Amino acid sequence: MTSFRRPLLHTCYTQDTQIFPTWQQKAFCVTFIAVLVLMPFDIPVISHIPVIRFLGDEDWLHPVTETLVFAIAALGLNILSGVAGQVSLGHAFFMGVGACTAAYLGGNPTDATWGHSLPVWVWLPLSGVSAAVVGMVVAPVAIRLRGLYLAVATLGLVFLGIHLSYTSWGRKIAGVPEQGRRPPSLDIRLWKDDRTLLNLEDDSRWLWFDVSDSQKRYLFFLLITVALAFIAKNLIRTRTGRALQAIRDRDIAASVMGVHELRYKLVAFGLSSFYAGIAGALFVCMSGDTGRVLVQQFDLFMSVELIAILLIGGVGTTAGPLIGAFFVLLTPKFVEKSTQWLEKAEDSTFGFLSRAILTEGDDFGVINTSVQTPGWSLSIYDWNVVFYGVLIVVFLIAEPLGLFGIWTRIRNYWRQWPFSY
Amino acid sequence: MTEPNVASTRRFAAQCSATRHFVKRCLATRHIVGALSVVAILASACNTSTDVPDTAATSDVPDTADATANTADAMPIKTGYGVDVENKIIRVGVNTDLSGPYTTLTSKVALAQEVYWKWLNNQGGINGWKVEPVTRDNQYKIPKHEENYNELAGSSDDTSVVMFSTSTGSPTTSAIAEKLVEDDIAALPISWYSGWADPAIGENVFEMFANYCVEAINGTTYMSEKHGNKVALATVAGSYGEDGAEGVKIAAEALGLEVVYDGQGQLRAGGDISAVVTRIVNSGADWVWVAADPSTVRQVIGDAYEQGFRGYWAGNGPSWNPLFITLPGNEVFDKYYTHSYYSVLWGMGESEGMKTMIAAMREYEPEAVFDDVYVLGWIQGLATSQILETAISLGDITRAGVLKAARTTEVDMQGIAPNQSWTGDPNDYIVRATYLYDIDVASATSGRSVSDEGNNNGYVLLKGPYISETAKNWDFKPCFVAS
Repeated sequence: MTSFRRPLLHTCYTQDTQIFPTWQQKAFCVTFIAVLVLMPFDIPVISHIPVIRFLGDEDWLHPVTETLVFAIAALGLNILSGVAGQVSLGHAFFMGVGACTAAYLGGNPTDATWGHSLPVWVWLPLSGVSAAVVGMVVAPVAIRLRGLYLAVATLGLVFLGIHLSYTSWGRKIAGVPEQGRRPPSLDIRLWKDDRTLLNLEDDSRWLWFDVSDSQKRYLFFLLITVALAFIAKNLIRTRTGRALQAIRDRDIAASVMGVHELRYKLVAFGLSSFYAGIAGALFVCMSGDTGRVLVQQFDLFMSVELIAILLIGGVGTTAGPLIGAFFVLLTPKFVEKSTQWLEKAEDSTFGFLSRAILTEGDDFGVINTSVQTPGWSLSIYDWNVVFYGVLIVVFLIAEPLGLFGIWTRIRNYWRQWPFSY
Repeated sequence: MTEPNVASTRRFAAQCSATRHFVKRCLATRHIVGALSVVAILASACNTSTDVPDTAATSDVPDTADATANTADAMPIKTGYGVDVENKIIRVGVNTDLSGPYTTLTSKVALAQEVYWKWLNNQGGINGWKVEPVTRDNQYKIPKHEENYNELAGSSDDTSVVMFSTSTGSPTTSAIAEKLVEDDIAALPISWYSGWADPAIGENVFEMFANYCVEAINGTTYMSEKHGNKVALATVAGSYGEDGAEGVKIAAEALGLEVVYDGQGQLRAGGDISAVVTRIVNSGADWVWVAADPSTVRQVIGDAYEQGFRGYWAGNGPSWNPLFITLPGNEVFDKYYTHSYYSVLWGMGESEGMKTMIAAMREYEPEAVFDDVYVLGWIQGLATSQILETAISLGDITRAGVLKAARTTEVDMQGIAPNQSWTGDPNDYIVRATYLYDIDVASATSGRSVSDEGNNNGYVLLKGPYISETAKNWDFKPCFVAS
């Protein structure tokens, strides 16, 4: 009978806090993860789902993998800002701490850099832990400051981090500024020079599939993202999660109720930074062994980008950062690709559209396809930046709960249909 | 607790109510949409048994393809990715900064290169083959640069390329240097790092012009002859600034100069420069070598001047921005700054190459605002076309064939810059000649279009092509090596 019960009729707290209240949600989630896992492979059915097909293509896989990294970082920021209500502009700094730890522990030593060549199962968790420790050191500041003041205080961390990377020991850890160093290896082995148990750096064959290195990295990152998303979701349902939300809603009231403010703010900063550390470590490995560790990338813009992901996706929810990361990182690429496609369109309908929208700077098209953009029209790259700014403003004003809020509204409507009241 | 709070939910309910009429109209189509979805899924499932996915067709074409095409002289030509055999089009990649910090420079370089290809294609192309640039914006960010690289170095019928005629930036090009080797692709960088000529660092990166290190050696020699033996240096960190700084030190050692302040890697774009400025002012230097982004350089020179420093200045090419001529304080640059560069500038000299470039720019982009960096873009096109010409004459325009051609091509710069080759030992082929210009505000004609006569960005050629004795005798090795 339980499967036919009325939706949202929860008769106990356990039911109310279930991750998946209905079997449909469970099935959807399992199917969704299965599709994500199979996405990069050329398999019947999957290959015929339009969007999924090209997202799994080799040249889309890199941005999709980057999206997963940003999703992890945004999940962390959500714990701090969305769940515990502590505004932070320093999230990129914690990602940088994770990246440095990964480079130091997992990177190979050279004349110019330190390194310990440790395997991934050591450096990846420790990247999170080191960032968490630094986060907990910063946390007491949040006792004295809140809102804008806390945002400005955490903003300072980003500049501090970049400054430290220029010092002589910063160079030893992160390499020469703007040149960086080689990233640590993702290959899974027992210890430093032991035999590789699972190769993630080269193309090989897994079961029935030829798997390229970028596909392997995608799958590895996906596994970590799914695991961390579940942990984040579970956290909100625990005593800690409730305490953090109480602090968010009103810290003084929470203290009066017996919530230890310092302890839980320490937990919030620690957990959030742990996620950031893992994301930072993965970020530098995103391109495999040919990439570079460049800590100067963990700058203010990255912090702002994470906040945008959170705002657009939906603050305070677990699905929000995931949806937001996909939306914020992949939409500009979709727009860019569509413009490139439109530029080549020759048939009557799209050719007309192309002539109406695109210009080479000499007529009234909105998007300038010339490499230079004189006059009033902008290139698609510039429009993307405008679009990004406008989206943040629109979501803040019209839809503070972000894309997840829109989804909830649609879901609730269909759930109640045809009885809207 | 995980659901939106009560107030928000109420607000949602209100908003839902407002949109209800619209949604009700949609409800009528709900079942139809559902049925169509089922049909679509079934249809796609059925298709799998009969159709071969499109992507499979392209991904099965190996790079060293056996696909052949006939050229005008009926010689079989080996082709692969990046070549449209049917329409006789060769695609080259331009992975450059179109919305990042160097846009003002690099978008003009890209524009000049586009003009070059239009001009060349209208001349009949290369042995009948047309060249089409595929331009992507790297935003001067490594992940974006890699993403673009993956796309253009991939197997797409529309966007795959045979080589990169432009790969902008030292850190970005470093990030793809090894991939270029893996994929057998050649790239011409907009970066003059001395390490590119070392096969261990930039095997497939075909650097043009003198590198930052040689440039600094020549510059230091000239400045010491003119202005004295006490030198200070202030550069940004990394393969640009520190390569230049090492060049100054090599020359200083060879010439017995005194380095009174060593600010190698101490400058930072957008960072605090006051400590560096104070040290320069207190160093007693006769002149200073700088290597940083133009706005930092302007700030350093301006602050030092305000604090009473009256020494001379010179720096690596990218330190200078012609816009300085039009800004307040330009008299300081006029009096104290020497601009070092890699080629002849717009309108200077009587070379055929320069005349052709100016004529082409006027024909295809007559409204474009005049700038010297067009020369750079034109040269990128000039070098790429000559490499492709060699590849076509060797009958192999696969990526590997073009790479092989690049190693055997002697690029004729038509008098715009020193000729360039990449054959044999780097010590023998690297370019050691640079050009030194005096800044002359009075002769500047900023803001005019390329169509105007007598354009000049305020330069007077002091020396060039100039190879100092130290640069000539210098045994090549990367001056600065990152980890």
